Parts: sequence; structure tokens; C-alpha cells
Amino acid sequence: MTSDEAAVPATTRATPGAAARAAAWQWPTLGVLVVLVLAAGTRALEKGVPEWFAGSDLAKAIEYPVYAIALGLLGNAVLTATGLRDRLAGGFRTEFFIKTGLVLLGASINLKVIATAAGPAIVQGIVLISAVFLFTWWLGGRLGLDDRLRALLSAAVSICGVSAAIAAAGAVQARREQLAYSASLVIAFALPSIFVLPALASALGLSPEVAGAWIGGNIDTTAAVTAAGTLSGEHALAVATIVKVTQNALIGVVVVALTAWFAFRVERRPDAERPGAGELWRRFPKFVLGFVAASVVTTWYLTTVGAAEGKAVVGVANDLRTWFLILAFVSIGLEFRVASLREAGWRPVVVFAAATVANVVLALGLATVLFSGFTVT
Amino acid sequence: MSNQHPPTVGEHTRAAINEDWAATIVGLVLLALVITGVIPTGLVP
Repeated sequence: MTSDEAAVPATTRATPGAAARAAAWQWPTLGVLVVLVLAAGTRALEKGVPEWFAGSDLAKAIEYPVYAIALGLLGNAVLTATGLRDRLAGGFRTEFFIKTGLVLLGASINLKVIATAAGPAIVQGIVLISAVFLFTWWLGGRLGLDDRLRALLSAAVSICGVSAAIAAAGAVQARREQLAYSASLVIAFALPSIFVLPALASALGLSPEVAGAWIGGNIDTTAAVTAAGTLSGEHALAVATIVKVTQNALIGVVVVALTAWFAFRVERRPDAERPGAGELWRRFPKFVLGFVAASVVTTWYLTTVGAAEGKAVVGVANDLRTWFLILAFVSIGLEFRVASLREAGWRPVVVFAAATVANVVLALGLATVLFSGFTVT
Repeated sequence: MSNQHPPTVGEHTRAAINEDWAATIVGLVLLALVITGVIPTGLVP
């Protein structure tokens, strides 16, 4: 307490304290409100633009992640110019939004479908994630990147972008700016991929199934995979989704492996006690449990109702998931800092770009081998 | 990075772990509401 405060009667002193407490939640609440308004704008653009520009393939091709990030970046510029951004930043809950979205994503994954129809996808996912992760990890080491940033970039480029980076960040206890930087890189590379990969698949004359497998194994964010798959047609979208869902399901395995590696190897010191199993549990991202639980619950639920009813219910869950992903993408745009990219320097960009190229080539080979005879019926 | 001892993700926000559980609970509760029909088809814009 300052001397000035001490001179003020207690009844009067309560007012500034109450005001501070009010401000402590009012600004984050306003921040959430900003995110919601921009998300509603995203939804309006997603539905309105194809109607306003009827006949335009481009208008139809643009998916909600593009609008969400663009509006987030626009809001970022406005709020930064007005000096409000840092005050509102407490409401930009990217991690919460995307984790909730991922839990809801579990509802659209039928374990039986994955087990029976996605054999090639599982093989591709395991080979691709292992190879790309290890290549990125190795290259990051050669260029002297911090181990935590290496882990984040490796997880992001090999599994599923921002969500994998978030899961890996929890596992290796990465710094927030490293997570923000990895997320920025993911977005910077994923956005052009939405348009480039379908165009390349068409130019290479790939079948829809191979194109889908290539897209699903390649593009980092699930939303961008869906967008690119949609551009390549229904069959490509189906295969792309199966491949991506398989990679999503492998997040937990990679996270557990990363947790163990960092707890027992990277951070172990001669004088330090060996981390116990409790440490593994403490670092395990709990939303993965929600993701698996949602899948199990929905898989069971779908056996108790008719196909039409089940499809409608999963559709509602998917709509909710889309909302949370939009909230997350808007938040990413609002949180994006050019300074974090500048601060990290050129080496992570080189690592991410090289890993992306390796991912593109390897995924093309695997997709061609594994999905050439595959047809979606 | 300029800060020699920057906070980790886990240390920086005490809410990080709570956020993990909160996302799990909110996601599963929403799913339960959808399955039980409390959130019907057409309600989500």
C-alpha cells in the first residue's frame, strides 16, 4: 500500500481496488467479444461471398480459414493502431478455442472407419510423420535451433500444424513466443498450399484419391486440408480427410514420445532427480483425452441411432467445431506479431521451408504407392 | 530471444493447464448437449 492510499479512508480505498478487479476481467471479456464479432463476420463472408459473386470459382474456393485469418489480421492492425490490442489480448484464447475444436473433431472420427478403411492412411501417416519429424529435427539441430523450437517446428510440419505445435508446446514446455512463431509459420505456409497443391495435383494428372492422400499428408492445418481437398473434388476430399484424421489421431503418440524424450533426455542433469511418471502425466495435453473420448462416445452413439439421425447430430457437432476453429483462426490473426518472426531470424524459416519441401516430395511418393489402386465408393 | 529466462508455456499462464481441462470439458459437454438434442439441428448458425 502506498502512502497516498493509506491517507484515503477505507471506504474510498475500496473503489480503486474494485475498479482494478473489474478491469481485470472487463478487458479480456471485451477481447472475447472482439473475437466473436470477427468470427461472426467470417461466417457471414463464408456464406455471403459465393452468393455475392455467383459464378466465380475463386469466391467459391475461398474457405473460412482465409476469411478468419484475414479478419483477425485486419483487427490486429486496427487494435494495434488504436493502442487497444495488448489490453484486449487476454480474450484471444487461441489455445482454448482450438483445443475445444479438436475435442469436437473427435466426434467426426469413427474408430471403426479408420480401422477398416484407412489402412494405407495409417501406414502413410506413420511413415510420413516419422520421416518428416526426424528430418526437421535433424535439420533444426544442424542450424542450431533451440531444442524446444525444433520440437515445435517438427511436430507442426509433420503432423497437423498449429494444433500439433500446441500439443508439442505443452509436452516440451516451450515458450509462448516459440509457439506463436511456429503458429505464424504454419499459417504462412498453409495458406498458399490451399491453392497450390490442388493446382499441382491437376497439373501432374494425379487421380483424385492420390491427390487427396497427397493433400492430407502434406498441408499442416486440418482446416486447410479440408479447403484444399474441397478444391480437388469429393473423392479427393474423402481421402484427404481420412489421411488427415489419421495424423490427428497420432498427435497423442507423438506428444507422449516428446514428453518422455524431453523429460528423460533433454532436460536431465547429472544432479537432477530422474523425472517420474507423474511428470509424464503433468505434461500430457489433457485435451487429447477429450478428443479420444469424443470419438469413442460418437462411435458408440452412432450404433444406437439411424444413419440419417446420426449424420444430422454429427453435422451439428461439426458446425460447433467449425465455430471454434474460426474463433481460433481469428485469434491467431489477432495475436500474430511480425516482431516474433523477425526476432527468431531466418534459420527457422529455412528449416520449415526445407521440411515442407521434403514433406511434399515424400508424401507424393507415398500417396502414389499406397493410394494408386484405391477408390472411394 | 532477448529474454535469457523467459517463462515457459506452462509457467507463463497458470491458466494453461486449466485451459486444457476447460477445453476438454466444454467440448465434451457441447457434444453431450448435441447428442441429447438440447442443441438441435439448425440452432448453430
